[in-house]
Amino acid sequence: MTDAMIEVTRLTKRFGDRIAVDHISFSAKPGEVVGLLGPNGAGKTTTMRVLTGFLPPSEGGAKIAGHDVVTDSLNARRNVGYLPERVPVYPDMTVREYVLFWARLRGRRDARARADAVIAQVNLSERRDTLIRNLSKGMRQRLGFAQALAHDPPVLILDEPTIGIDPRQVIEVRDTVRELGRTKTVLFSTHILSEADHVCDRVVILHQGRIVAQGKPSDLKRKLRPDATLEEVFLSIIGTERGAGK
Amino acid sequence: MKRTASASIVIRRRTLGMLGNILGVAGVVVGVIGLIWTGAPGNTVIATFAFGIGGILLWAVATPQEFTGFFSGRQVRFGTMAIVSTILLIGIVALVYLQLLRAAWTFDATQATRYTLSPETERVLSRLSSPMRIIGFYSSRALTTREIDDQFFRLYETATNGLISREYIDPDEQPAIARRYGVQYDGQVFLANVRDDGTVDLATLARVPRGDAQERDITEAIARQMIAGRLTIYFDIGLGERGPLDTTQEGISAVFAGVQESGINARTLDLAQIAAQGGDIPPDASAVLFVRPLRDLTESEIQTVARYLDAGGALLLLTDVLFSEQPFLSESGAFNQFLLENYGIGALDAVVVDPGLSAQTPLDVISAYVFAESDIAARLDPAVSPTLFSVARAVDVKLSETPSNIATGRVIFTTDQAYGETNLTLLGETNTFQYDEGVDLPGPLTTVAWSTNVQTGAKLVLIGDGDFVANGRIVTTDGAVTVPGNGILFTDSVVWLTELSEEIDFQPQLYGQALPLIFVSQQQMDLIAFITIIFMPTAVLLIGIGVWMRRSRR
Amino acid sequence: MTSWIVFRREIAQFLTTPFAYVIGAAVLLLTGILFNRDLNISFSTKPADPALVPSILSFAMVFFAPLLTMRMFAEERREGTMELLLTAPVRELSIVLGKFLGAWAYFTLLLLFTGIYQIILVNITAPDLGHALSAYIGIWLYGGATLTVGMVFSALTENQIVAAFLGMVALMLLWLADQAGQLFSNIDVAIIFRTMSLQGHFSTSFASGLMRAEDVAFFAGIIAVMLFITAQILESQRWHG
Ligand SMILES: Nc1ncnc2c1ncn2[C@@H]1O[C@H](COP(=O)(O)OP(=O)(O)OP(=O)(O)O)[C@@H](O)[C@H]1O
Ligand SMILES: [Mg+2]
Repeated sequence: MTDAMIEVTRLTKRFGDRIAVDHISFSAKPGEVVGLLGPNGAGKTTTMRVLTGFLPPSEGGAKIAGHDVVTDSLNARRNVGYLPERVPVYPDMTVREYVLFWARLRGRRDARARADAVIAQVNLSERRDTLIRNLSKGMRQRLGFAQALAHDPPVLILDEPTIGIDPRQVIEVRDTVRELGRTKTVLFSTHILSEADHVCDRVVILHQGRIVAQGKPSDLKRKLRPDATLEEVFLSIIGTERGAGK
Repeated sequence: MKRTASASIVIRRRTLGMLGNILGVAGVVVGVIGLIWTGAPGNTVIATFAFGIGGILLWAVATPQEFTGFFSGRQVRFGTMAIVSTILLIGIVALVYLQLLRAAWTFDATQATRYTLSPETERVLSRLSSPMRIIGFYSSRALTTREIDDQFFRLYETATNGLISREYIDPDEQPAIARRYGVQYDGQVFLANVRDDGTVDLATLARVPRGDAQERDITEAIARQMIAGRLTIYFDIGLGERGPLDTTQEGISAVFAGVQESGINARTLDLAQIAAQGGDIPPDASAVLFVRPLRDLTESEIQTVARYLDAGGALLLLTDVLFSEQPFLSESGAFNQFLLENYGIGALDAVVVDPGLSAQTPLDVISAYVFAESDIAARLDPAVSPTLFSVARAVDVKLSETPSNIATGRVIFTTDQAYGETNLTLLGETNTFQYDEGVDLPGPLTTVAWSTNVQTGAKLVLIGDGDFVANGRIVTTDGAVTVPGNGILFTDSVVWLTELSEEIDFQPQLYGQALPLIFVSQQQMDLIAFITIIFMPTAVLLIGIGVWMRRSRR
Repeated sequence: MTSWIVFRREIAQFLTTPFAYVIGAAVLLLTGILFNRDLNISFSTKPADPALVPSILSFAMVFFAPLLTMRMFAEERREGTMELLLTAPVRELSIVLGKFLGAWAYFTLLLLFTGIYQIILVNITAPDLGHALSAYIGIWLYGGATLTVGMVFSALTENQIVAAFLGMVALMLLWLADQAGQLFSNIDVAIIFRTMSLQGHFSTSFASGLMRAEDVAFFAGIIAVMLFITAQILESQRWHG
């Protein structure tokens, strides 16, 4: 319980009258890769934004590495690397300047060495001194990873890291996530279910702001049918929900 | 329907709570600042506090959970925290600002030390013992002028630890007060003594003339105010003088007004009447001025003057050559003899003719040499401010064999070529003059002399021209000063006689006079224009383009 | 410390994009033209005004400050980097402070460039350098204050043009308050207006060679309050989307 790196308890986020996230609870241990699944508008991004300290929760709370995201926000943020849905960049900076900036801002003393290491890790060493405006989309995505890893955080939160890149790079990203998952806690969102099936130790399925299922992909599949795909599980759950809503 | 209704009530309550919060905190903060500023809880301070507490009550009633939440330190809505902390910060800034405003810490960065009181001013201020107030009348239109003036006024307040205070009155707001002060223009400044109860003593009110040099204007006004009322000089009108109120070209009303404006009481006195009644010259007379009397003094009048001098009195005697019987200070007359015997100076029956240095005719004598070691002549540099006497009378000074305790001296001297024409009849009738060896007095001649009895303190200045400060001589019709030396001679004679010199003894700095002008050739101007208008901006642009091009190729 | 890192990025941003150079050239062109005009007017008739260029800048900053600050937050929001900044272990105030210091440093650099006018004056006449220094210190603080006002509007709105426009309007009001106050017949109202105005703490003190503690406090206070408000705005945007 206490060794959970991500711990979400009855987290709720409202935007005016709309409830984006509705009393969700889940946790993730070190070395665990947790997939956050759900259709568009399910509340995945919102959940992640609360976890990274970008948005304050309306109710309930969350802890990162034991630090509350509201009352101990700075320490919680120190332990998170975040890759938003759309990779945010400063187009007029070079790759190295960019990574260096985030490493420094997040308190790395050995920022230079760390930046070089991270750039190498995401295979951008050759483009170190290229202006970001001149990078391809795939490279930008990798740069986003580098940025999230710049301060070597124990928790990584990745919002749809495989969106909009070619299949070869998707595979690379999956490998990276799996690789990172060995030492870090990774929470990553996607709506490509096969991806979650391959990468995640556990999945949390969100629908209309609520958790509709969570567990190991294999368990969830077995519950439905011995040879079911995660896709079918997902559709069946959401289908029921939709049916119930009518 | 029901939902929207309740929602709008919630919003209204929230807005009300927020409003109460803002007003409450702001009220309390303003109240605290007011309390610290005024030092005592006045009516406005209490009112602001009440207002603030009202706001806080509103806040508490409208949104109770939030109110209690705020004070119990629980999580509150972000807005409340932000508002309270912002208002507090503004309050702290305002408080610091007001404290510094009151402390009036300034640093004069100018090389001309324009915002620093000169040592002369400080000397004047160090003698100040009773409170004075600078009262400025400025409307809102003259606010910038007021700001500039105030920077000087507050130097005085700081230098005297508040003995000199400042007060500003808006003539638009308080026209009655402005009328009482006789305000003539926006931005006019007055100086007055302050009574024990802190009110202004209007009887001591003096206008502060405004020039370019704020410091000199104010310091002079203060110095004058310090002696105001303590000194009285009397203009005699009993010997056929024109009297000080005569505003014609030959009158001396300008000088009389000038004396009054300088803070000295100026009155008239009738020596003939006093002597006739066996009375005395008033003991408060700091000096008695005889400006071109027509007749000589009688025995009883001489006695009256002698008693006055024995008591430490001071006389300023302006005498002309008169072509009449028994003229004032006739060389052989009893009064002239009295002066020569007792004070070592006297008039001569001779008209000064100076072919060496004169104006239109050799009779218009210009000061050729000045004995600058005397206080009277200190400012009379012949090169800068010469005096001009039209028909001057020679003056006799005994430099040796004077009675004991008597010190004498010359003030103004003619050139060597000058002589004293003694044939007054011929001069008066035909206006001709020529040097007659053995008859006329050889030059150089004295035209102004002084004498003092160091024991009794009696002082005399004898000037061999009766009309050198006549209205027509010192100012033209448009008010311009014609012969600056004449005014200075008169003023400094009075200053010396009344011992005013110990009070006003300064020359505060004049701004702007020492700053050099720009002198450049046209080629230099063109070069400067090229560098500043074309070269610099282009260079900056080119650097920018260069940097950008180099980077964007990466 | 984190402010220092933000500051370094900000100043690098100024020095590597052409925008800042264009602004700098425009400022130098404006001050250059007015400087030459004044030189021609005062040529051998009156001493040179050591506070001329700072006084020109006191008006120019009404327009230039919002231009310098308009992109400050709007661009971060557009590129999404705001999300990263606000999830970094950094307080809003540090970010705001760092960005302000960056813009202020740029402004300082610009001021140093205008030092050329003083060098010219020293060569052709003998200006009162103490007076000039006072005016420069004044415009330095004044410029800092105008930048913070611009920053508030940059934080308030997503749109750069709107941010610049609102900033100019606000600064114009702060600049004109001095004049506006004098339209009121009540002098106390006029004084309050003047106290609130930028000119009221520059034209008759710093620009005349007199440095007053209260004027320093005024500009420092504006800077502190505006930076604080900017940080509060950023934080409030987390709460209200
Ligand atoms: N700032 C906001 N203001 C108002 N509503 C918002 C805001 N952000 C998100 N929402 C709403 O909250 C709900 C959840 O959105 P969220 O972005 O978390 O979904 P998501 O699961 O990430 O969807 P997607 O797969 O499309 O990224 C949506 O209905 C969205 O419209
Ligand atoms: Mg999303």
